[in-house]
Amino acid sequence: MTNRLKSTRSITRKVDRVKNLAFIIAMVLLVTTLLLDIFVIEMIFDLLTYLYIALGLLFVRYGIPLLYASRRLIQYYWQRAIKNKLAVGGLVFILLLILLAFIGPLFTVDPTAVNFDEKNLPPLGFTIEESVYKIETKQFITSRITGTSEHPLGTDDKGRDLLAMIVSGTRVSLQVGLFATGIAIILGTLIGVSAAYLGGKTDNILMRFTDIMMTFPFFLLLVFIVFIFGPNLALIVIVIGLTGWTGTARLIRSESLSLRTREFVMASKALGASDRRIILSHLIPNVISLIIVIATLSIPGVILAEAALSFIGLGDPSVASWGMILKAGQQNLDTTWWVAVAPGIMLFLTVLAFNFLGDGLRDAFDPRSNI
Amino acid sequence: MKKTWLRDYIIKRLLYAIFIAWAVLTVTFVMVRVGPTSPADKYLSNLAAQGQDTSQVMAAIEARYGVDRPIYEQYLNYITNLGRGDWGWSLSTSMSVMELIKAHWIYSFQLIFLSSIFAAIIGILIGIYSAVRQYSKTDYIATFFSFIGISIPNFWLGVMLILLFSVNLGLFKTYYDTSLSLLSLANLKQLILPVITLGTGMLAGYTRYTRSAMLENLRKDFVKTARAKGLPERTVIGKHVFRNAVLPLVTIIMFDLGSIVFGGAYLTEIIFGIPGLGQISFNAIFADDYAVVVAVTVISAFLILMINLITDITYTYLDPRIRYD
Amino acid sequence: MKELKVLAVLLIIAVLVGSSCQVPQEAKGVYISGTSAGDAETLNWILAADSASFGYIGHTLDSLVTYDNEWNVQLRCAARDVEVSGDGLVYTVTIRDDLKWGDESQVTAEDYVYTMKNLMFSDWLNYTYKSDWQEEVNGETVFVTPEVVNKTTFTITRRTVDPEFIYTVRTLTPYPKYIASKYEGDVESFTQAPEFNKLTYTGNLGPYKFVEWIRNDKFVVERNPEYYLGTDTDAPYFEQYIVKIFGTPAIQHAALEAGDISYAGIDPPHVAKFQAMEQINVYTMPTTGYLFLAYNLRDNGWEGLKQKEVRQALSMAISKDLLIEKVLIGFGEPAFSFIPVTSPWYVDKGSAKYGVESLLDKEKAKERLVETGHATQRADGSIEITDKEGKPLKLTLITNSGNDIRENVGYLVKEELLTIGIEVELKFVPWATELRKYLMNKVPGTGQELRYNNGVGAVSEESWDLMVMGVTTLPLSPSGQDVFYATQGGLNFWGYSNSPVDELFQRIRSEEALDEGARKQLYAELSQLVAEEQPVNFLAFQLANAGFQKNVKGIEPGINMGYNYHLWYFE
Repeated sequence: MTNRLKSTRSITRKVDRVKNLAFIIAMVLLVTTLLLDIFVIEMIFDLLTYLYIALGLLFVRYGIPLLYASRRLIQYYWQRAIKNKLAVGGLVFILLLILLAFIGPLFTVDPTAVNFDEKNLPPLGFTIEESVYKIETKQFITSRITGTSEHPLGTDDKGRDLLAMIVSGTRVSLQVGLFATGIAIILGTLIGVSAAYLGGKTDNILMRFTDIMMTFPFFLLLVFIVFIFGPNLALIVIVIGLTGWTGTARLIRSESLSLRTREFVMASKALGASDRRIILSHLIPNVISLIIVIATLSIPGVILAEAALSFIGLGDPSVASWGMILKAGQQNLDTTWWVAVAPGIMLFLTVLAFNFLGDGLRDAFDPRSNI
Repeated sequence: MKKTWLRDYIIKRLLYAIFIAWAVLTVTFVMVRVGPTSPADKYLSNLAAQGQDTSQVMAAIEARYGVDRPIYEQYLNYITNLGRGDWGWSLSTSMSVMELIKAHWIYSFQLIFLSSIFAAIIGILIGIYSAVRQYSKTDYIATFFSFIGISIPNFWLGVMLILLFSVNLGLFKTYYDTSLSLLSLANLKQLILPVITLGTGMLAGYTRYTRSAMLENLRKDFVKTARAKGLPERTVIGKHVFRNAVLPLVTIIMFDLGSIVFGGAYLTEIIFGIPGLGQISFNAIFADDYAVVVAVTVISAFLILMINLITDITYTYLDPRIRYD
Repeated sequence: MKELKVLAVLLIIAVLVGSSCQVPQEAKGVYISGTSAGDAETLNWILAADSASFGYIGHTLDSLVTYDNEWNVQLRCAARDVEVSGDGLVYTVTIRDDLKWGDESQVTAEDYVYTMKNLMFSDWLNYTYKSDWQEEVNGETVFVTPEVVNKTTFTITRRTVDPEFIYTVRTLTPYPKYIASKYEGDVESFTQAPEFNKLTYTGNLGPYKFVEWIRNDKFVVERNPEYYLGTDTDAPYFEQYIVKIFGTPAIQHAALEAGDISYAGIDPPHVAKFQAMEQINVYTMPTTGYLFLAYNLRDNGWEGLKQKEVRQALSMAISKDLLIEKVLIGFGEPAFSFIPVTSPWYVDKGSAKYGVESLLDKEKAKERLVETGHATQRADGSIEITDKEGKPLKLTLITNSGNDIRENVGYLVKEELLTIGIEVELKFVPWATELRKYLMNKVPGTGQELRYNNGVGAVSEESWDLMVMGVTTLPLSPSGQDVFYATQGGLNFWGYSNSPVDELFQRIRSEEALDEGARKQLYAELSQLVAEEQPVNFLAFQLANAGFQKNVKGIEPGINMGYNYHLWYFE
């Protein structure tokens, strides 16, 4: 009996070791490529891609096992969540959006192709009057322009296809939302759980640090850093991630505080498990549902923050996010309204979908919580 | 007995607040002054755009902006002046920093204050309604509407409202007019669109909060007792449930006020041309006007800490079960 | 005889009608001028560098003279135009004797001379534009010498001749000696002086008096009943004049449409809409700004660009008409040099007009590029440009992000060059990055400080080939453009160097050019030379659109539209 238990444990340990080794090797490889990229060969990937790969690896190593370990709990909450129709609607919309981001570009034209002869085309089914300057006669002529099926959503003032821009912007907005939230959640969880579990001085220092971070006005800090170091999507993602973890840390800490003294934690401590092991396999799995809810509810804020940055002229000029399209279209809302309306509606629906989903999950998890 | 305990507690918290404010000050100061940009940049690039050769005046301008000395010297100088109550001179607006903040805080405050009230009233009503009818169709509709507000980018909503109500219907002025007296009805009228724009974004939070607080209290025994006594439902909800739910709401409103006075209403201010602290702070960032940036961050940090303290103290008075050690 | 009489009567009627139109009964109304270009930085003009600040101050403080739309001198604080001695060295200024400071004391020549000697030329204040008042004498940089002659007359003496110095003299405005001397020597207290920051000293020196300045909101001035130009005419005719700041052009346009403001600049895409509005007058006017495509002639740009023929070929492939039609939506004039048509020094004939008519020739452009050896012809007739080793090359075009027109010019240049087979990669970077990483340069490996022109061998941090830019030129003294085109020019960041051009710039600033006919000849030579040399591809002079409510009267549309704004009135 005890022997069998021991052998299972040693197998688990071995598997763990292999996993760890694979993870470390992958990380080392990634960092080497990054260094090579920076110092020797230029631009294998851009900075953001490295960030994505790193986050992906972290997710595979820690996220999937965690989700798997707490599958019963998640299943239970899931059953409760799908009762909420708005949440299900939100989820379906988000899944469609992800699908659009990945396969959409295959069906649309090049979103960066400029064509001044086809500028300001209205969406299909609309007709507008536009005054056009003709150099031959040096005169303005008013002509009627009708939308074409080639550009179902119309074109912007550079003749770029709006549908294609919206589709490529989907990927950008989702990336920003998911990855910035990813960074913030990881940081917040680690800091919150460590503070709760380790207690004492560590708790004190971590929470004082959180206090200081919290007193900085978030958007002011974001604008400040992006202004100083120049608008760049990777920077924007990282800064939102690095500044947005404070709320998560506090919530996770207070949630884990009660777990710290529970029997199963005490038991594994008595059995000699390491702090790291207890945090990873006992504490975090028990707050995972809370983490999922916080993550879902943070994404819309992040997407809107990126759009707001674009609006005040601090968006990454090399990336056509919804915010950037919206900003460009905003100036001509009275004439070529569709350029601002299309990304505005997409932004609105996406944020709404995440909010509904998050709200549904929260309700399922604990209807009385105030996240 | 209780008094001395409270006094010690307040002193302790005040000292802590001063410490945090100092930390925020130092971090901000270092960030502004160590970054690759300099307060003289905007000035010099203005000159370059006019076709002026800047190389000859560069050093002189840096000296005028006080950025030619080593950073620790600038920091010590700043702290010494602060000790004398001098927050410095804003070079990008040619005004003393304190005067600048004094002249502009009221514009942000009235906007945020009215938006909070607007959002709180509507949010609380929706929240109560949907808590009482949890999971019903009306609950969904209420949630749906309160979430619409938080999901519309408010800079987009603002421009749309102006085009519709100010330009097409001519109901309002297209911009905020500072010459109207703050307490006049006309001023209230011109704040309608900005308040809607900012308030809809805050609505969902209040709805959510009220709803969950109501749900929590609805399950309590005293509600059951009240119902068992045969009190009308209206009295049960209004007197027993809502009264208990309202306390945490006050905290949330206070916190909202504190955290968005500086900067939170920036986009709304830009759209409606309200010269509030949001515009002042962000323009200071873009001009690298460090005296203003540091002052704004530190004051807002201190404000948030004070609001936390006040809410905590209020709590101890209102809820005798809470004790702080 | 009879005909003459009729003519005389007609003339009298015309004068009567004209004057009754010109002078309304009384001042009324609040004029609100919209802007979305940002707020001013200071009202202390000696410290200012941005046009918003100079604009605000200008409402309360006149310069010596100003110019109408044809560049004729209009006297302001000066009693007569600045007189230049025959040898071109002594400038005599006579100011009006009815100018008053805020405390009713007279503004005298002493104030002007004090302002120059003790403030503008001082070491402690570091006046930003002091180089305009300096000259090179025996290799030393010295200031010109101002001197008081009597209460209303002073002279400024140079030791070298510069025929264009007069334009600088005419812009002079004074500080009151009795106030400024209190702050002398202390830059901090001068900066914070309440009299200067609240413009309490301006007396009757401007059509308006300072009321308030709410930062990021508005700058308010009120009618100055004492204004020296208003003694006969009762000008100005607005009770208040407000500059209202908008955070975004979209709302500024909306405010003009709704009638909430009297004036706003209109961006090209909206012009047609406003022209169709009954309540709005739209005027199209020349500006002093021109758009150009700069070539990196330093060592980190494509070396083909160093050859004149290559630059000419590139210019031949880019249609200026197409650019004006597609990008500027009709609001531009093709440019062939930095001297605008509106300049008195503009000469039309003799210049090569690259990019239009016969010099817009893509086939010839290809031929020329192949001839120079910097390109090879492909089988399909298109060409491919190559680097030193003969490898195919892509050109990098830089411009600042957020500037829609420049970005669009970038797209158009890319399209146009693609038609002859040249590939261009576009990079839009923030303005600050563009300045620091692409414009400023230094010789690599040295401890040089980054400057816009660090001479031979200096390169920018990032390499580039083409850059879309726009700068303003002074139509009265285009020779100021030497900062861009002379070898030693402080803003010649692209490293252009051509000794005939340098020489012409010098000759325009010398004795030889004192005679205006001779100067015009020199300018003609210069513009021909740069049109041929193509140091940059001059693309277009932009036109601006101003929208006014119809009830604003008295406006004379033109390049200096605001010169008589104290005579504007509400109907």
